[in-house]
Amino acid sequence: MASPLPQVLLDGLFAGGTYALMAAGMALILGVVKVINLSHGAFFTLGAYVAYALAGRGVGSPLAAAPLAAVIAFAFGVFLGKSFVNPVRSHPFALPVGTLACALLFEQAAQLVWGPHPLSIEAGAPWIGPGGLVVRRWGAVAFLSSAALLGCLKRVLSSRPGLPLRLIAEDEEIAGSLGMDVEAIRYLTFGAACAMAAAAGALLSPSGAVTPTMGRAPLLLSLVVVIVAGMESVAAIFLLSIGLGVFGNACAWLLSPQWSYVALLAAVCLLLAARPAGIVATAGRRD
Amino acid sequence: MRGSFPFRAAKVSLRGGTPPARSPWRGGGWPAAGIGLLLLFPLSSPDAFLLDVFTTGFLLAAFAASWDVVGGVSGQITLGHALPFGVAAYACALLTTLAGWPLPLAVAAAVLLAAAAGLGIGALSAPLAGPFVALLTLALGEIAHEAAVGHTFFSGPGGYAWGGEGGIPVALPWRDAAPFPSYYAALAFLCLASFGMLRFSRSGAGLILRAVEGSPITALASGVPVARFKRMAFAVGSAFAGAAGAGFVVHVGRATATDLSLELSFQAATFAAVGGRGTIVGPVVAALVLHVLFRALSLPPSARVLLYALTLLVVLRFFPGGVAGTARDLASRRAGKEGGRPPRPGGRNRNGDEAP
Repeated sequence: MASPLPQVLLDGLFAGGTYALMAAGMALILGVVKVINLSHGAFFTLGAYVAYALAGRGVGSPLAAAPLAAVIAFAFGVFLGKSFVNPVRSHPFALPVGTLACALLFEQAAQLVWGPHPLSIEAGAPWIGPGGLVVRRWGAVAFLSSAALLGCLKRVLSSRPGLPLRLIAEDEEIAGSLGMDVEAIRYLTFGAACAMAAAAGALLSPSGAVTPTMGRAPLLLSLVVVIVAGMESVAAIFLLSIGLGVFGNACAWLLSPQWSYVALLAAVCLLLAARPAGIVATAGRRD
Repeated sequence: MRGSFPFRAAKVSLRGGTPPARSPWRGGGWPAAGIGLLLLFPLSSPDAFLLDVFTTGFLLAAFAASWDVVGGVSGQITLGHALPFGVAAYACALLTTLAGWPLPLAVAAAVLLAAAAGLGIGALSAPLAGPFVALLTLALGEIAHEAAVGHTFFSGPGGYAWGGEGGIPVALPWRDAAPFPSYYAALAFLCLASFGMLRFSRSGAGLILRAVEGSPITALASGVPVARFKRMAFAVGSAFAGAAGAGFVVHVGRATATDLSLELSFQAATFAAVGGRGTIVGPVVAALVLHVLFRALSLPPSARVLLYALTLLVVLRFFPGGVAGTARDLASRRAGKEGGRPPRPGGRNRNGDEAP
């Protein structure tokens, strides 16, 4: 067995590339709905449990689970966006606490349904590459699907159909005065972003244990990505997610899996402490 | 609390003159009646479980009120308020068992440590605005939780491994705490702590903190050192949270990682949202009612957190100012119709609702 470092890097690349799908959803919500969605990690977990449930019924491929998870998450996301996030958007208290409540609600519900113990999904035999490098099949599939979806998102955002999103992100009043249904676009965007998180969760589910709180680390990763890379460039989000995925995997390999979560938490704290003004400017004007 | 008829009449007749000196218990007799009932309750010979539920409830209520000092009165939405609670709990356990300190000294040190932790959180979060305070405090709380879960402390000669999920025991000077003294001690602590926090929230500093919550820029322009007052709010709230944590760990006998969990921080925010932020008494009442209600249902812990989250979502959606806050707004709106103080046109009241 050669040095484990290339293996760690490759797995980090696969995971980070898939996290980028979720982080892009977070950026969409921050840009268009202009809120920080603390329940984003719960949708990631939802996707993973959908994949687990399907695997238990003989549909082993995360590629099949991702669309189903996305549709389910879209439905819940639209409901959440329309019935909770839109009405309380201007409340500085209700929004972070309420989205956190959604996340905890889902975590506890998942714990009641599936139990607190880690579950795992059989992912099929990996390919053995040169030098004993193990190329996990799900990892390659997840990375490629995430990259493809992000490419589509980039195309949509820079073309005519994505114009309302960009206009609302820039100035919602002008968008409203041009006859766009700003509220509807908001909750649809919220639903779509939740669907992206769930798809990422379904694609990544064979990579590790499926637990009720597994969405917390990706949530923090998305927050770090959005804070640093902003919401304009999909490519920046993709690259930074890969960087953080590799970093997280290296932390997990060098120290222990728990430490990658702590490292992400510390990154959030350091970022907020280092450039509070820049982040406030990034988050845009509320009201 | 507010708004029985003679009280309002007195307020209207004094309009324009000097305001009357108010005692912190300006809600009149209701809190006194509640305390009286709670004092009587153990005499009705309830079973030990219910007594324990109430004792824990008193400590949780004090914790909820301490959240309100930070999140309600000064509007710094903290989602990591379990940090000072748990820091004090762990300090208490470690100082008594590993260092062999006497309990009162350890409790005092734990409260001071919690206040220092609050000062640090306040210093970090003071430059941040709105949701980023929530984000930072959440991250700090989770770091503390992970540290508590992952770190193992060793005792000297016996070689027992302490820490991790199992937690750390507290060396108590008594063998088995009797339920009645515990109940009354916790109740006395709750009364003293809420009295202190009410005093603080209605003092000059509390008034300035409310001004900072309303508009930091206006406060800054009027010469208020905003960052210093934010730090102070965190320090005071954390000191009370630490006192509640020390009391909790003395009652339970063991500091565990749940004392630092996100769920606990979230519970405090729930109590405050339901009871009405910024009122101190509201969160206390909400904490007592919800805790006793959900515990009496004898549900598993995860179902309880689920119920808390559901309650909070419903409250936030339909009463964004909290149940008590919305009721108060309705009352003052009615008072406005009857010729009392008219509501500010077009402005926002302190719960962030649009004024009618």
